[in-house]
Amino acid sequence: MNDKKTHRDQLYIIGLLNNDSIIIKEIYEKFAPKVIHYICRNSGNEHDANDIIQEVLITIYHQAQKNNFKLTCPFDAYFFLLCKRMWFNVLKKTSKKEVTINEEILSINDDASLLSFETIEFDERQQLFEEMFQKLGNACKDLLKASFTIKSLQEVADKLGVSYAYVRKKKSLCVGKLTKLVQGSPVFKKFKN
Amino acid sequence: MMKEEEFTFFEAYLSEELSEEERLSFENRLKKERELSEAFNNYKELYGFLEHKFTTEKATEAFTKNLSEISKGYFSSKKKTKVIRFKPWQYAAAASVVLFLGITMFNNFGGNPAYSDFAVHETLSLTERGNQNKLYLNAEQAFNSNNYEQAEQLFSEILASNPNLVEVELYKAISLIEINQFTLADTILLGISNQNSAYKYSAKWYLALSKLKQKQYDDCDLFLKEIPVGSDVYELAQELLSVL
Repeated sequence: MNDKKTHRDQLYIIGLLNNDSIIIKEIYEKFAPKVIHYICRNSGNEHDANDIIQEVLITIYHQAQKNNFKLTCPFDAYFFLLCKRMWFNVLKKTSKKEVTINEEILSINDDASLLSFETIEFDERQQLFEEMFQKLGNACKDLLKASFTIKSLQEVADKLGVSYAYVRKKKSLCVGKLTKLVQGSPVFKKFKN
Repeated sequence: MMKEEEFTFFEAYLSEELSEEERLSFENRLKKERELSEAFNNYKELYGFLEHKFTTEKATEAFTKNLSEISKGYFSSKKKTKVIRFKPWQYAAAASVVLFLGITMFNNFGGNPAYSDFAVHETLSLTERGNQNKLYLNAEQAFNSNNYEQAEQLFSEILASNPNLVEVELYKAISLIEINQFTLADTILLGISNQNSAYKYSAKWYLALSKLKQKQYDDCDLFLKEIPVGSDVYELAQELLSVL
């Protein structure tokens, strides 16, 4: 993916990263109507569309922040596919009937399709990690929060009133515990296949 | 399952606290031991996740807040546009979009939208303006019962004595689109859309629908794009644009 040319619509990604209101408004004006129309036509309403659009923009924001994300296709296509897939996930969860997206098989080699798949997987992983993090005990949660917010472990140790060696060891054990929780979850096993 | 010491080792490796010898031997083990290397990769990913989670917490919060405000603004301005709709053909067009939504669920990939999906005309009420003239009543009835050929003739009769009734002109044009007399319909609509009246953009909307029915999608697209934000038919135009 990295040898591909960055699309000029990368400006929307940068706008999101910078929390640039003008760009975000432009995204709504330009790209929201199509999504709203689509969701309203597929068992949803405007309120659902509102939720999906926000969720997708937050996901793009996170991915852009973390992975030095490079857009190699028009934003329109990428954004629309993401909204569509997230909406299908919602439908799958709420309705018992089988939902299929036939047209995607045809465009599987598209940059937009690939990128949106990557983003969806990224989002699902983040959600799983967050869920597992919440399962940790409070001692671990607090220590992890402190040691990732305050860069110096010595400072963390001073703050918590324990030794540097203890913080260092405890930090690795807590991340280890989280690793085990994630590895043991059925959702994670699904990612591997 | 990984032993606790291994995690301590991962941590030391990631914070570059291992000696050269320890580092090399660890990297060597990573190559050979699958379970270890899997656990290490997961550990690294979670380490990245936590780092990201806690260092960007404030920025993310600010972003989410800003986003939710922009979204609220966008959706409430959309609603306002909707409330302004009051002309019967706009209700009709809106109703037709709803109908369109109903019948094309999961089924609109590839192919262009059809005229009938966007134009179903409902109740016209010329007589509401206190005019109980029989000609007007007949025209209204003909139009409302989809008898467009007759409606068109009656509208023409009305216009013969009252050539300045722009609304009647518009309905005449709609009737003409229905009976596929596009040239005349388009001429009338172009005339209305070039004047400043309350029907200017409705005329553009019907011009677009006429082009849609003629399968001249590029022209349809052009007329839709001439409909500005804030006009009564803007949303409908955007909806059609999004599926063209």
